[in-house]
Order: sequence, then structure tokens, then C-alpha cells
Amino acid sequence: MIRRIYDVLFLFKEYVLLATLVLLSIGMIALNDNVQVRRIRTVATVAFGVVEDRLSFIPTYFGLRSENALLRRINVSLADEASQLREEKLENIRLRQLLGLKQRSSYPLTAAEIVSKNLTLLRNTLTLDAGRLDGIEPLMPVVGDGGLVGLVTDVSDHFSVVNILWNTDFRVSAKIQRSRVDGIVAWDGRTLALRNVAKTRDVVPGDVVLSSEYSSSFPPDIRIGIVSDVQIQEGALFKTVTVMPTVDFVKLEEVFVMDYLPDEERSDLEQEAKQKTGK
Amino acid sequence: MEHYLRSAAIAILLLLVQTTFMPFVALGGILPDLFILWLVYIAVRRGQIEAMLTGFGAGLLQDVVSTKFFGLAVLSKTVSSFAAGYFFNENTAEQTLGSYRYLSIVGLCSLLHNLIYFVIFLQGTEGPWLSSLVILCLSTTLYTVVVSVIPMFAFSQKFSTSWAQ
Repeated sequence: MIRRIYDVLFLFKEYVLLATLVLLSIGMIALNDNVQVRRIRTVATVAFGVVEDRLSFIPTYFGLRSENALLRRINVSLADEASQLREEKLENIRLRQLLGLKQRSSYPLTAAEIVSKNLTLLRNTLTLDAGRLDGIEPLMPVVGDGGLVGLVTDVSDHFSVVNILWNTDFRVSAKIQRSRVDGIVAWDGRTLALRNVAKTRDVVPGDVVLSSEYSSSFPPDIRIGIVSDVQIQEGALFKTVTVMPTVDFVKLEEVFVMDYLPDEERSDLEQEAKQKTGK
Repeated sequence: MEHYLRSAAIAILLLLVQTTFMPFVALGGILPDLFILWLVYIAVRRGQIEAMLTGFGAGLLQDVVSTKFFGLAVLSKTVSSFAAGYFFNENTAEQTLGSYRYLSIVGLCSLLHNLIYFVIFLQGTEGPWLSSLVILCLSTTLYTVVVSVIPMFAFSQKFSTSWAQ
């Protein structure tokens, strides 16, 4: 390779020497700082600029591939960032709503995030990232920005399990806000219903269902849901009142645990009375 | 070594003559370039490479002394020497030097030299640039060709004597 280069150089030695000497002399000329050299520099700069402008598409073309790769990476990173920002915006809205709820509540609230959900079983539950060390105890009510979520059943140091409305074991004494009609809200595995509402009672779709004063587990006036359907079956004593919960369990991510426990004296007395009547 | 020393001595001598005596024979500020005469002689007799190296050295010497525009004479003399080197022919060198062909080669090289020199030298000057260039180039070339008649006759005499022998 070197031999070949040498052979070529030797073949064109006159031109190689000319080029070398011309470059040297141009270098010497460039060392001057007189009117002529300045003028030549100006002309050369302008000419070079014109040529560079005309040929600028060449590096642009070859640079397109790397530019595309870079833009793709930036695009992915920006899309990820945009997604995160959207997520944070929604979280902000939810937390503001929860903050409003916290301010309205007359009971101290402990915020918790849902770390696990079961929504497809008969006994559906949520797992929260707050536990005994956060002041959570069994039988504390759990609410979200829409209303009632459920009841704490089990607690560890850092986590707690909540029976939600969509749990066949869950019961809450409720009332219709408008007509003050009482009943029991329960879930049969398919629909949430307000039970024990007599046929003659005034309940219509659109009525708001709240927790009632008769509930020992929940404070009164916690929103539970909206009556979506009222059916009267032939020969039945009660109406079939279907309730749509105001909490969207699918989208639910943050909740509050109310610092509220059933009155022990009342609970003991009711328990004793039950035992006596054998119910 | 002797050859290079001789070349250096000739260059210094020519420089002395060019800078000291030539201004006395200037016509309207135009001087003949004695270095061109010598460089053409080197090119015709010894070839392109030696002519280029000699031209580079001569131009360097001239620029160092003149201190006007360092590197300009180097460039112009190197290129004109290269051009003169195309007329190198070992067999016909003497006939070329002793005939009108020497005058035409000197004219060509002088024109090329002056073109390069004055195109750069006249940059940034006020006034009609093109006409100044033409006048300076042609007049200097013409004067140099006229002066080259002297060495041509000298070569003609020298080589015809040697042929006769």
C-alpha cells in the first residue's frame, strides 16, 4: 500500500512538488496583514459561503439517517414525558377533589393509595398502603371522592384490606335523601341494591342514596350511590331498587380512611340483644 | 554541492543587479525581471523540478529583501518555473536557448509570473483594476522579453561555437 502510494507520488513528482511549494507560498502570503490579503480573505469567504450553501444538501442528506434516529429517540422520550404529565394532571385533579372531601369531612381522614384490587370476585376487596402504624384500625369506614368505598376489615403495620360495596358480605344502612326512605344497601354478586323498601315507599330513579343515622359502622350522610332503576314485581312485598355507586371502583386510585369507629357501648348492647332473641 | 553553491551565488548576484542597477533602466516605473531569464534557462536545461526549486528559492530571496508582500514572488516564480519546465528537452536545450524559442518561453513565463503577481498585488487598490493589471502585466513582460534578447544572443554564440568545435 505504502509502496503503491510512493510509486504514484514518484510518477507525478513534478505536480506533487508544485502543489507543496504553492501551498507553502500561499501560507507565506496568508501571514501578511495588508490590504491585498484582507481583500482576498473577504472574496474567499464570500465564494466559499456560496459554494457551501449550494452543496449544503449533501451533508444534510447523509445526516438525515442519524438525525432521524435522534428525533425518534427524542420523540419517544417526549411521548413518555407527555404521558407522565397527563397522568400527573389527572392525579392532581383527583387529589384536589379528595382535598375538597377532606375539608368537608367532620372526621379526621387518612389518605391512602390502593396497591391492589379485586373486582371480579364475589367478595371483592382493596388493599391500601396504610396500616396500623398510620392509625388505621379494623371497622374504619373508607371513602373516596365519589362517596362510600367500603369498610376496613384487616390491618397490618403498613397495609390494610377493605371490603368494598361490591362484596357480598358488605352491608350498610342507607336512606333516600329526598324521601328519607330507609333500606339496606347490599350487593348480590351482580347488582347493588337498596333492599327492604316497601312497595308503597316513594323511590324513583335519580334519587340519591346516603348512609343513614341507623348505621353503626358508618357516619350518616355519606353518599353511596344513585337509584338507577326501580322495579315492582307481581306479588312481592318490596320494591327492587337498583343503585349505581357514585364511586368508580375501576378508576379508583386514592381513598381516605375515616377515623371513625362504632360506639362500643351500642355495639355491645345490640350484640347482647341479638343473642337474647336468638337472631 | 558545488552546483547548489553556484546557483545560490547566481541568485544573490541577480538580486543585487535587480535591486541596485535595474531601477536606473526603468521605463515609467516598469522593470525587467532578470530572475525569469535565469529560471527559464534552468528549466530548459535541467527540467521542471530543479526549475521549481530554484524559482521558490529566488522568490523567497526577493521577498525577504523587498519586505513588501512576503510570499507573493515565491508563488509567482514557482508557478512560472513549473510552466517553463514543460519546454525541457535534453536533446534540443541548446537550440532552444539560442533561438527565438527562448524569447517566446521567456515571454510566456514572464506573462504568467506577472499575471499571478499583479492580480494579487493590485487587490484592494482604488482605481481601474483591470486596466492597471493589463498595463503592468504586458509592459513588464514586453520589457523582460526585450532584455532576454541579450542572453539569447550570448547562448547562440556559445552553443554555435561549441557545435563548430
